[in-house]
Amino acid sequence: MLSVPLGWFIAVSSALFFIGAAGVLVRRNAVVILMCVELMLNAANLALVAFSRRLSDATPRGSVFVIFTFVIAAAEVAVGLAIVLAAYRNQPTVEVDEIHELKG
Amino acid sequence: MDFIAPLIFVILAAIVVAGGLAVVLLPRITGSALSMGLSFLGMAGLFALLGAETIAFFQVLIYVGAITVLILYGVMLTGVAPAGADRRLFFQKQAGWALVPLKFVGVVATVFALSFQSNVVQQPGGDLEPLANAVFRDYAFPFEVASVLLLAAMIGAIALVKRGDD
Repeated sequence: MLSVPLGWFIAVSSALFFIGAAGVLVRRNAVVILMCVELMLNAANLALVAFSRRLSDATPRGSVFVIFTFVIAAAEVAVGLAIVLAAYRNQPTVEVDEIHELKG
Repeated sequence: MDFIAPLIFVILAAIVVAGGLAVVLLPRITGSALSMGLSFLGMAGLFALLGAETIAFFQVLIYVGAITVLILYGVMLTGVAPAGADRRLFFQKQAGWALVPLKFVGVVATVFALSFQSNVVQQPGGDLEPLANAVFRDYAFPFEVASVLLLAAMIGAIALVKRGDD
């Protein structure tokens, strides 16, 4: 099982991270931007687990961090969607360019 | 058996990267959300390949299950208009019916080909026991803080979307 080099996992992780970054920069739909942030978090998770499994000692610190990242991701998507919905109710669009004012 | 792990890795990596690209490139937001679920599923496979089965399990449970569904709720509630006409492939139904028995035969053939002749006895529990020891002993305080954060996020989300006067 150890025959896949560590660098391959890091390559996939960075590829997914920059795909997510490109999505955040390019897309204008707020929900798609949230999805791309999730992709970036997930790419970081892969790097954490890969380093942890290949380089770490007995304590799987990377996996512990990944569990905390899961919590952060869940909180982020819940609050992010709530903000998007609140903004949508205020002004019915999810295109971030068209949301000019954040007055409540 | 040395080529099996890289082969599985390449397939899973292709799923992850293609899913991620589809999230960014697909014009329809529902397609983006479902591609994100596919990408997360491939990522769970990569975690399992790394030997972190518990993380793979949580990945399926939280990312593929909860977060994808939450995003789909967001898509539904923001009411994005469907773009253009029905763009289903012409042979989609027939291809679906053909693909399922093909995959079933493939899985069964793989099972009989491998016939579980691995003589490596896995440690019972896998990575769950060291992970649980680390989370609940060394990182017990951050764990509690994380639960407080989740509670705060839940209350915050409810407060943000609550309608004004009722």
